[in-house]
Amino acid sequence: MSSHIEVERLSKTYRHPMKVWKVIEAVKELSFTTGPGEIVGFVGHNGAGKTTTIKMLMGFVAPTAGRISLFGKAPGDPAALRRLGFLPERPYFYSHLSGRELLRYFCGLSDIPAAAAKGRIETTLKTVGLADAGDLTLANYSKGMLQRIGIAQAIIHDPELVVMDEPMSGLDPIGRREVKDIIRELKKNGKAVLFSSHILGDIEDLSDRILIIEKGVRRSFGTLAEIIPRENIGWRVSFAAPEKDRDALFAAFKGLRVANGLFTATFASEQEMNAALTAVMERRHTVIEAGPLYPTLEEVVFRMQERNGTEVTHG
Amino acid sequence: MGKMLLVARYTFLEMVRHKVLYAFVFFAFFILGLGIAITQMTIGEPVDIIADIGLGTIEIFSTVIAIFMGISIIQKELSLRTLHPLLARPISRPQYVLGKFLGMLLLAAVGILFMAAVLWVMLFFYGAPERLFAFLPAFYTIFLQTALVVAAAVLCSAFVEPAVGALFAISFYLIGATSYNLVYLINKHTDETTKKVINTLRYILPDFSHFNIKDNLVYGRGLENISLSFATLYACAGIAIILAVAVLSFNKKEIN
Repeated sequence: MSSHIEVERLSKTYRHPMKVWKVIEAVKELSFTTGPGEIVGFVGHNGAGKTTTIKMLMGFVAPTAGRISLFGKAPGDPAALRRLGFLPERPYFYSHLSGRELLRYFCGLSDIPAAAAKGRIETTLKTVGLADAGDLTLANYSKGMLQRIGIAQAIIHDPELVVMDEPMSGLDPIGRREVKDIIRELKKNGKAVLFSSHILGDIEDLSDRILIIEKGVRRSFGTLAEIIPRENIGWRVSFAAPEKDRDALFAAFKGLRVANGLFTATFASEQEMNAALTAVMERRHTVIEAGPLYPTLEEVVFRMQERNGTEVTHG
Repeated sequence: MGKMLLVARYTFLEMVRHKVLYAFVFFAFFILGLGIAITQMTIGEPVDIIADIGLGTIEIFSTVIAIFMGISIIQKELSLRTLHPLLARPISRPQYVLGKFLGMLLLAAVGILFMAAVLWVMLFFYGAPERLFAFLPAFYTIFLQTALVVAAAVLCSAFVEPAVGALFAISFYLIGATSYNLVYLINKHTDETTKKVINTLRYILPDFSHFNIKDNLVYGRGLENISLSFATLYACAGIAIILAVAVLSFNKKEIN
């Protein structure tokens, strides 16, 4: 499999803006590769180094050390940029242009002939759900619409790889779902996507592989199954029970949680779970699920931060 | 070249949509009011006075717009981050900077043409429309001078905040407009070293006296010692140097 992105021992240091003698290490010896057709989720806290890494990939910022190759070329190389789409974090575009005018401008900058651009613009506007808003000036676009026109400009030239910096940031649940659908659609059409986010649910939903960085250092890179340890972290019983039994159930089971009418209790050992299971069945409640409890991505990331951990899996 | 012109076109469009051209309409009203005031108050030749003040005002309007639009032309894109998706396209940074410069230059050209047309209308009302043709070299040199100021403003815009950029660009204009007076300083000093320093400064600092032909043309003295070819060469060389610095430095700039 030929790589789209190859990053090798990438580092970036900055001088502190106020204390010039102080050096900030934004990214430290980061290495990873991504290939065609895969969605790679890039996870980390605010300030973990995601945006700095993306800026280095795009050629906006020069690395202090290390090597980046995009389609075998250096960042910023026109040949690589033709095959690459980019959505910046919280995108803002020329407010005096309409959606169609913006896309026409970017078509011109992407060497798309005017004759082909017209059809491409209409198709792309339709893909991102802005076909009816194409003539509206961007000053009148909502945050969600700006995000969608941002995606439109990133894919208008039919790139093989789309890099998105926090594409779901600041969007409401519907907006987030729409952006996620567009990312899935891109994958369906054979495109690769690298997107950064600190919303772990979105990363879990979409990613084929996940790259976790913390304080500029790679903590983990692999599939969800590779990143999340197979050993269980506890035991769980989920059951449905009438609302009137709520108080009695909370008294009987320590640490019981309820969501959408479903009660869930977690236990440290299998024996405790079995005892609880028997108690639930004796009360004639409906058992929905019982068994080992595996950590979520959120818990894995949280535990990594707690122990300021070392690499979990290979990349 | 194509992408540079595309950036220039959209830069010009941005200025037009942000209603910068309204400033030139303001100029039209200014000249109109001036004409009425002059006919009421002066006893001299009103056509000469209108032409003199008209050409002076065209120069000031062009310079002010060049500075105040130019100093934010790249900074604004950096702070609003509209630059990032643009530089993610197969366009080089020099193409982008030069495109921005050309867009501003087009705005200056359109503005000067519009103001020249307004001046012609005023001269027409005072029965001397043919005098406008005598002023064509002045419009040309105002354009050359404005182009130099635009280049300086674009250079400032690539590196500093608009407020600081305005300070630099205004200083550039003021130095250019007054540096010719260094000649008189040389004559005042007897010390050879001081003379050499002042003389060197004369050649380093911008000198807009090469473009100053308004008075000559208004009062019928012709071009006198002014060479349009030299003025063109001087402006082109200055623009080339300033834009080379802008392009080379912007190439290394970290786009955060």
